[in-house]
Amino acid sequence: MSFLALRDVRFGYPGQDPVVEGLSLELAAGEIHGLVGRSGCGKTTLLKLAAGLLRPIAGTVTVRGAPLADRRAMGFVFQQPTLLDWLSVRDNVLLPVTLQRPPGSNDLLAADALLSQLGLAGYSQRHPRQLSGGQQSRVALARALLLKPPLLLLDEPFAALDAITREDLQVDLLRMCRAQGSTALFVTHDIGEAVFIGDRVSVMASGRVVRSLAVPPDTARDTPAFGACCAALRAALGLTGVAA
Amino acid sequence: MTRRERAVSLLLFALLLGGWEIAARQLGLSALVLPPPSRVAQALWQGLASGYLWPHLGATGIELLLGLAAGCAVGFGSGVLLAEVPALRRQLMPYVVISQVVPKLALMPLFIVWFGFGLAPTVVITALICFFPLLETTLTGLVQVPPAQLELFRMLGANRWQTLLRLKLPSGLPAVLAGFRVAVVLALVGVVVGEFIGASRGLGALVIAAQGSMDTPLMFAVLTLVSLLGLLLYRLALGLERSLLRTYTTR
Repeated sequence: MSFLALRDVRFGYPGQDPVVEGLSLELAAGEIHGLVGRSGCGKTTLLKLAAGLLRPIAGTVTVRGAPLADRRAMGFVFQQPTLLDWLSVRDNVLLPVTLQRPPGSNDLLAADALLSQLGLAGYSQRHPRQLSGGQQSRVALARALLLKPPLLLLDEPFAALDAITREDLQVDLLRMCRAQGSTALFVTHDIGEAVFIGDRVSVMASGRVVRSLAVPPDTARDTPAFGACCAALRAALGLTGVAA
Repeated sequence: MTRRERAVSLLLFALLLGGWEIAARQLGLSALVLPPPSRVAQALWQGLASGYLWPHLGATGIELLLGLAAGCAVGFGSGVLLAEVPALRRQLMPYVVISQVVPKLALMPLFIVWFGFGLAPTVVITALICFFPLLETTLTGLVQVPPAQLELFRMLGANRWQTLLRLKLPSGLPAVLAGFRVAVVLALVGVVVGEFIGASRGLGALVIAAQGSMDTPLMFAVLTLVSLLGLLLYRLALGLERSLLRTYTTR
């Protein structure tokens, strides 16, 4: 049974053409699923539908076969780090807990452990503005992972970072997801990123999923298999490469 | 300010006072028109030493604090309410604006009719003046929370109360404090002008009394006190702002 399933979903704002229509997507448990598409094709809308932030006009969104019940079982990483400037790094990471109950000592330990796994061991008392862009993205990732959500939704989380920092964070994300056994839906406009992170990659165009392909396991960058996957995705996106 | 700038600033102040002193003496101006700073300082010192100025200073201080507290509390509360309930905002905003475009000082005679003479009308007018900047900035600050942060709180299952207390208020705090700083300065104007018309005690009343007895040095002494009071309050507001916003700006 699939972990997250969107079936024949339609969504649009009143008086406008639907943003997504006839959209179906399934994620197996533990799968990391990349989603690529041109800007404006409905990627973020799909993610918000999966998160329950938007309600579909038609179709169903289910998690483990049941309609969305508890949004707290999900971690969400936004396009921007979206940290709260007035809280310390640790309090930012603890936000999902402190909105529900007073944090216990095990919560503090969990937050500090996540921060140190993401290379931010000495930063828990700093404030977001004292951090670089890459560090802020790491804090946002730690916040999303704090409650060990079975489902992680990421909306172009590294789009604003430089290429080198982005590759570091891709490795970190992959490692953390595998360690927690999370299922992840990862939206990006970077084909290489989707292939590197995803077990499967889907291509979206004009509000629906047009192509979905499996990435061979352990596909390292700069290998022929990696290149072939990227080429297949480019073709699905309608990008014409330079003839070899 | 660097040490050099501080020295320049002191020098400028001394030059201004010195120029005033020399001009007042050389031009042979009557102390009734422009007393030299030495006369003003003398009047101020006599007033303070004899205890004549203290009750007036106290009255102005109390009116100022009461008016400021009432105006800011109501302004902040209404700002939060109007920010949280858009329907209420659309209905009530026109009345708020009308209450502000009416020249408030022109209402002072009416307030004397309503509240009598002395403390009450002055406090009311001061509160009315402080109310608006707090309301405006609170409203703006709470409404302008970044949508992504609101989405984050929705995502984390925060209720409306938590979103207000833990996101909107902290996020709007810099705006609220900027409004408070404006309110503090306006409050001083309100209280002094209120006393011009409606009180027999207080620094404003004293300016009018000094005018009546043609005691221009005393008038200047009182104006000096008012300025010092304003400077002190502004400094306090700025200090409060800095200490509350430290975590927002640390680099």
